[in-house]
Amino acid sequence: MPDKTILLKYTSQDAPARTKEFLGLFTAALRELDALEGVNITGVEDIGLYDDGLVVRILPEGITYRNVQEGDIRRIIELTVKKGQIIKELLAKPAAKETRVALRNCGAIDPDRIEDYIAAGGYAGLKRALFELKPDDIIAEVMKAGLRGRGGGGFPTANKWQLARKAQGARKFIICNADEGDPGAYMDRSILEGDPHSVLEGMIIAGLAFGASQGIFYVRAEYPLAVERVEKAIAAAREYGLLGERILGGAFSFDVDIRLGAGAFVCGEETALLASVEGRRGYPRPRPPYPTDHGLWGYPTVINNVETLANVPPIIAKGGGWFASMGSGKSTGTKVFALTGKVRNSGLVEVEMGVPIRDIVYSLGGGTLSGKAVKAVQTGGPSGGVIPKEHLDTPITYENLAQLGSIMGSGGMIVLDEDDCVVDICKFYLKFCVDESCGKCAPCRIGGFQMLEILERISEGKGVPEDLPKLHEIATAMQKASLCGLGQSAPNPVLSTLRYFEDEYKEHIVSRRCLTGKCKGLLVYAINQEKCKRCKMCQNNCPAGAIPGDREKGFVIDASKCIKCGRCAEVCKFGAVDRR
Amino acid sequence: MIKATINGIAVEVPEGTSILDAAGKVHVKIPTLCKHKDLEASAACGICIVKVKGWSKMLRACCTPVENGMDITTHDPEIVKIRRTVLELILSTHPNECLTCGRNNDCELQKIAADFGIREEEFPKHLRDIKQDASTKTIVLSPQKCILCGRCVNVCQEHQNVWALSFLDRGIKTRISPAGDIKLSDSPCIRCGQCSNHCPTGAICEHDETAPVWDALRNPKKHCVVQIAPAVRVAIGEAFGFPLGANLTGKLVAALHRLGFHAVFDTSFGADITVMEEASEFVRRFRDGEGKLPLITSCCPAWVDFLEKSHPDMIPYFSSCKSPHQIVGVLSKTYYAKKRGIDPADIFVTSIMPCTAKKHEIGRSDEMFASGHQDIDISLTTRELARMLKQSGVDFASLPDEQPDDLLGQYSGAGVIFGNTGGVMEAAVRTAYNFVTGEDMGKLEIADIRGLEGVKEAKLEVGGEIVRIAVAHGLKNVEYLLEKVRAGVKGGGEPPYHFIEVMACAGGCIGGGGQPYGVTDELRRKRMRGLYSEDEANAIRYSYKHPAVERIYKEFLGKPLGKTSEELLHTEYRARPLYVK
Amino acid sequence: MPKLDKAALEKMLSARPAGGDWIKVGMSTCGLAAGAQEVYDTLVAEAKLLNAAVRVEKCGCLGMCYAEPLVEVCVSGMPRVIYGKVDKAAAMRIMERHVAAHELVDGHIIHRGERDAR
Repeated sequence: MPDKTILLKYTSQDAPARTKEFLGLFTAALRELDALEGVNITGVEDIGLYDDGLVVRILPEGITYRNVQEGDIRRIIELTVKKGQIIKELLAKPAAKETRVALRNCGAIDPDRIEDYIAAGGYAGLKRALFELKPDDIIAEVMKAGLRGRGGGGFPTANKWQLARKAQGARKFIICNADEGDPGAYMDRSILEGDPHSVLEGMIIAGLAFGASQGIFYVRAEYPLAVERVEKAIAAAREYGLLGERILGGAFSFDVDIRLGAGAFVCGEETALLASVEGRRGYPRPRPPYPTDHGLWGYPTVINNVETLANVPPIIAKGGGWFASMGSGKSTGTKVFALTGKVRNSGLVEVEMGVPIRDIVYSLGGGTLSGKAVKAVQTGGPSGGVIPKEHLDTPITYENLAQLGSIMGSGGMIVLDEDDCVVDICKFYLKFCVDESCGKCAPCRIGGFQMLEILERISEGKGVPEDLPKLHEIATAMQKASLCGLGQSAPNPVLSTLRYFEDEYKEHIVSRRCLTGKCKGLLVYAINQEKCKRCKMCQNNCPAGAIPGDREKGFVIDASKCIKCGRCAEVCKFGAVDRR
Repeated sequence: MIKATINGIAVEVPEGTSILDAAGKVHVKIPTLCKHKDLEASAACGICIVKVKGWSKMLRACCTPVENGMDITTHDPEIVKIRRTVLELILSTHPNECLTCGRNNDCELQKIAADFGIREEEFPKHLRDIKQDASTKTIVLSPQKCILCGRCVNVCQEHQNVWALSFLDRGIKTRISPAGDIKLSDSPCIRCGQCSNHCPTGAICEHDETAPVWDALRNPKKHCVVQIAPAVRVAIGEAFGFPLGANLTGKLVAALHRLGFHAVFDTSFGADITVMEEASEFVRRFRDGEGKLPLITSCCPAWVDFLEKSHPDMIPYFSSCKSPHQIVGVLSKTYYAKKRGIDPADIFVTSIMPCTAKKHEIGRSDEMFASGHQDIDISLTTRELARMLKQSGVDFASLPDEQPDDLLGQYSGAGVIFGNTGGVMEAAVRTAYNFVTGEDMGKLEIADIRGLEGVKEAKLEVGGEIVRIAVAHGLKNVEYLLEKVRAGVKGGGEPPYHFIEVMACAGGCIGGGGQPYGVTDELRRKRMRGLYSEDEANAIRYSYKHPAVERIYKEFLGKPLGKTSEELLHTEYRARPLYVK
Repeated sequence: MPKLDKAALEKMLSARPAGGDWIKVGMSTCGLAAGAQEVYDTLVAEAKLLNAAVRVEKCGCLGMCYAEPLVEVCVSGMPRVIYGKVDKAAAMRIMERHVAAHELVDGHIIHRGERDAR
């Protein structure tokens, strides 16, 4: 092991190539000060800090300096590298950290090797649940943990298990809902692909808790790798006696089956999921009765999300108190977020509940890719809303998000910057809900469609002031009268953006402008005749033949033919094409 | 008992009662659209939503059971506004064709729009581009008018077990159609018409054939003859404000005479003939050991279609006897024509049936032309007759009773109860008893096979032998009986039943697909009582004792199952494909 | 493989982790979509070629999907490091420089401080 490792990166947007330059300077300085011996110095791709100038990290201590100037280099070498002293004014504040509970093994173990999983502590929870706890104790432990459904509902998991435990039924079922359908959300996929045993173990423990001996993985068919890894995990668990008759030689028998979805977002809804497993059309049914009383084939059934189940084994192994010690208030433990959109570091992050949204977006996410300001953060997928930039310091909990008009959902977090148009984003989500609506109830089937029509008109410059109250009217009907969560929450993105960005809607309707340029219907391309040099490049490159004219008379863009692709503006060397 | 409050009024109901029904008990009417009293709630439309204190969501009253302590509000400005919005959304997908629609003035969507006082079209119209399907020439599907309540799918799949209709596609593109968008006539559809009977709008209507009937009536060359089915007389009153189940035979005859029919006959007479033929068949199989047991009735054309398509292995068990409907038809153009000296080519036979499948039965095979012409020219439903009467200039309600015409118009009490589930069996057993024992059966009512239970079984003592009979109505219930029969065949030994009656429609013909709208079990019972009462009041209750029956056999048919009967009154069956390629 | 009973499981749970040098490649959908299969194959081939005593294994999603393919390297005598945006060429460099020559590979390292300090 080298005595010291020095990592450095120039992190500001203005001149990313400066890392190499600083590497050279630092190395030279080390040599000069006779400190190169036993020191490994290298430039890195990503150092965890962003827009902080030159960042230097010294290992193994993990001392991180930011905004290091050329003049600081020698100081750092003399004091920190040679003597281990910290230069306080250069020290970076600790960045937000991740707390990996559901993702604890993802990236650390080979998901196809059950020995890896056990070596990492796997099935210790099951062992305790089987041999040391009674079903009521298991439920009490999960109750103490305060675990809530991670699929979006946020319903206390222990309560659900308790209801099923009390319910009467000759058989009971536990279903793992892996139909993950929110666009941009892939937490469940990663857990199933990276650590399928954690979910399996959670299911067996759940079965013990309320008396189910049969589990079902309901996985969307669009996740073939996840299905493959789960199948392998099931086979391995059976081989090792962790699944099947008399698990671990005890009195409990439990087995699982896999059922594939067939391309319907609505089948992530509990009752539609049950219909799908029963071989029927994926139509929801009214609740009550709830699945815990009257579920699969009429028997008491618990449906839990993948991430919820992945949290169960460590809760049982380490105790509910351990889980509840993380998080904030009624939102205990951690949550995996799929951070995507205009953010630099898109990917999965797992943080304790109560971490400010700002930390997730800037510290873990690295801020926006373009360097432009964040406009809002969309949470909860098509059922959620937007959190505008003025609320980014909000600690992320179920309650806080609800208060702001959004939801936690399954953990989708999409970063929007100044170049994103809220009307456009709403159209996208609403179109998704309209496409995925099962069609059973009128409020969702027709209401969603009519709302989408209004948004489309607005984005084409054909909006009228009555559109806004009409959107509210339909949204209210959908929220209150739709049969299932899909219809009830489909208006959320619209309502949320109307709450915070009503001016942007008005701009589209009254001024007929989309300031971000995203709504193509409101875009007008025109040739600035003063700047135009009549070189004909635009006409040559126009794919729609929308630029009539010649070198003598000049060129104009025919708005009726223009498809707004922007080629003309791209090829014009004189900046003579205006985009309005 | 569960205690709750609805709009501040205390209510106590048995466990499992829906909020909708509980409200009815305290005279609160919650508006509904997709809910039909006869069917389970599908919870689709969203009109019946109510507020319950402590619940963040609004609940659907049609399917939510009342729980102890619920504090329910059914009407407040917010709820009313939302219901209105939902209705306006539904109207935005419905064409404005009321004035030319078959359900004008009898449409549930019209009614609720009128009740809600809709005066404006709030939302832009979005009509689906789906063509009408009139391929069966019996039932017409107009999917543009469909509000996707799901009743037809429920009835076709769960109650009739036919599965001709299903939901296709999803979201705004959802439509109700046979699988693969094939024509209804290429699908398993048996034309029972239960879909049309439960449809709230004009999306599924019977194929209206009143125009050719008017033409025939006005044509001086045509000798127009009409037969009325038993089930029609106890339902036609519903279109004219009569008490439910009122038996209006006399008025019907009078009205039909006024319309211009030269002779008004009764399908009940055909039923008496059916009884003679089928009881003889039964005796042959049961006493003489010729042919298979159980004997299965074949007077219901939807049932015939169903068996030919789904259970062709059971064809040998069918009675070869035609339906009473077809029998009166063929006798009109042979016996009646001969007796009255009229050229059968000039006779136009119309039938008034509670049934849509009869429209298909009249052309089902060459045997329906046994007279040398199409035995029955047009079959109309009760609903079509009601419309004709309203157009006719006759004040139906105040007409004095008249008698049906001779030769094919008089009947025994056994004939008229054919319209009830179990009625065919009771009627046939009366005569079979006599054919086996030579005596008149004493107690005529067989209580075990009366009523609305889906499957009814009884054991009778006939001449020292036990006869096992069974009755099923609503085709979902047939599975059970057929499986028992097949198991019996496989296992050898005595068959589980000797005689089975099947009616496709719940309640029997009185609940037929062509009957007036709004059927419920209560209404079925009232219509059934109307027919049983007529049987009880009839001087002659045995088919074989009726003078008209005796005469026709003496003068024309010879004996049951004789040569003339075989030619005119019997038919054959064959396996048919479930899906026509 | 005989089925485990309680005692056998306990034994496995308390077993010491296997030592030795290892390389883990993120091979969930995010990694595979970015080209992790080729990286994995290259590392396996190079390890054989150089006769390096290092286990090449697969693992799940490490979370930093923006930098896939991700490769984590743990070689005794070197700090434990995650490399991102690894392609075939970088994979070869990892094997030649980091594993064989005990030199960090420039420019690919993802090191996000406390988060990745193991």
